[in-house]
Amino acid sequence: MTAVLDDLIHPDKVHGSLYTDQAIFADELRKIWYTTWVFVGHESEVPQANDYVRKRLGLQDVVMTRDKDGEVHLLLNRCAHRGNQVCDDDKGNSGSFRCPYHGWTYRNTGELLGYPYNQGYGGKNKLELGMGKVPRVASYQGFVFGSFAAEGPSLIEHLGAAAGEIDRLVGLSPEGRVGLSAGWLQHKTKANWKLLAENETDGYHPQFVHGSIFGVTGSPIGALYSDSSTAVTRNLGNGHSENDLRPEFRKFDEPMRWFGTTADRVPDYVAAMRETHGEDAERRMIEGAPHVMIFPNLFIAEIQVFNIQPVAVGECIQYATAVQLAGGGELNKRMISQSIGSVGPAGMLLADDTEMYERNQRGVETLTPEWLDVRRGLHREQVDENGFTIGTATDETGMRGFWAHYKTLMEA
Amino acid sequence: MTLPGANDRPVGLVENEFASVSVRIDGDGNSARLRVEDLRTGEARFLDPLQLEALVHLVDERLDQLLDPSADRWRHDS
Repeated sequence: MTAVLDDLIHPDKVHGSLYTDQAIFADELRKIWYTTWVFVGHESEVPQANDYVRKRLGLQDVVMTRDKDGEVHLLLNRCAHRGNQVCDDDKGNSGSFRCPYHGWTYRNTGELLGYPYNQGYGGKNKLELGMGKVPRVASYQGFVFGSFAAEGPSLIEHLGAAAGEIDRLVGLSPEGRVGLSAGWLQHKTKANWKLLAENETDGYHPQFVHGSIFGVTGSPIGALYSDSSTAVTRNLGNGHSENDLRPEFRKFDEPMRWFGTTADRVPDYVAAMRETHGEDAERRMIEGAPHVMIFPNLFIAEIQVFNIQPVAVGECIQYATAVQLAGGGELNKRMISQSIGSVGPAGMLLADDTEMYERNQRGVETLTPEWLDVRRGLHREQVDENGFTIGTATDETGMRGFWAHYKTLMEA
Repeated sequence: MTLPGANDRPVGLVENEFASVSVRIDGDGNSARLRVEDLRTGEARFLDPLQLEALVHLVDERLDQLLDPSADRWRHDS
């Protein structure tokens, strides 16, 4: 595969077959989705002991559970007897799961509690079987990740500098916590997952693709993605990248401008932030929330979070939900309504992106030209004070970081 | 099977994808008791306050034993 990838991935261009080749997709499942840390869900989705929710990790049907002691588990939704699907509801509360096929019953940690008519197995506790488990589960600020690799880099090592972006989001909560409990919208998208991952920090497209929503809402965000903007695109390493809009927001020096509002429109939230964070509250409310793509599938887009999961080489699902800030007061309701307006069923933002993803997929399936160009800004990249490569707001610095890490994983 | 009495009070339905149980407080006896009905089979039983208190204090391992399908409902001699 190494020689093949050398041919397909160059610093300034990537080959179209990376988005269409079934064999490459199968290899990605093995070397990325079933190896590295993948975002699965958030602890706030299972707030009570014995809560559970159904999730996806790659193509795997996963049950995220919280056991009676509060620990979070990721179980594979398959009975150890005949392979039947155990849980069917999207969510529920149960300390144990009973397979509907032959009644085998498991604790919500995956341990087998028993099976009917046990003399057929020589009595009780005769089988060393249980539901499958994702070998490594870890969370950061409540964001739950799973890795099928029993050994490897820790979650903190994988997140690297991206952990600080999650901290930025959590730092906008007066209570220092975020929740993802508003419910997930599911957008089936007929495009390869990488087209989405690349697009999330592509600052070149917003003025074109999102011109309608910027125009309708009078949003000042569009102007931040231009060549005159002081915002930067940053390669955070490990395939993570961000559009750092803080330089622009600092220039304006207006709390809550990042949210498209003013401090007097959300007085309870602003008061709670000042109460908790003192003088630092102004900086937090001026700089706003992160716009960060965490490899391979967690996209934090200021007020909402996306969980991208592949379905096939040419199809994926985007799960989207509004961020809820603990102690966020009236801001939380506005975050939900803004999310509905942007990524809801009739939302004006994600529909535009998805149209591009699906057109992009149809485009790369044609034979020529064979390559996708990712050279934008390559000649003007710089290294910032922390050693990270940065480009301008419209440069493809994030994409190049994505592909460098992708190549490393695929060649391992 | 025990049938709902004339003086019982419905508490509610407790269910998930694995079981569906209705709970009522029965008032036909000389003091209150709980009537719990497995709606998938129609089987029901009464639980008096002392039995309920015992359930509260069951250690988890004992409760796990009750959840073994072979323990009672699907045992080999049933």
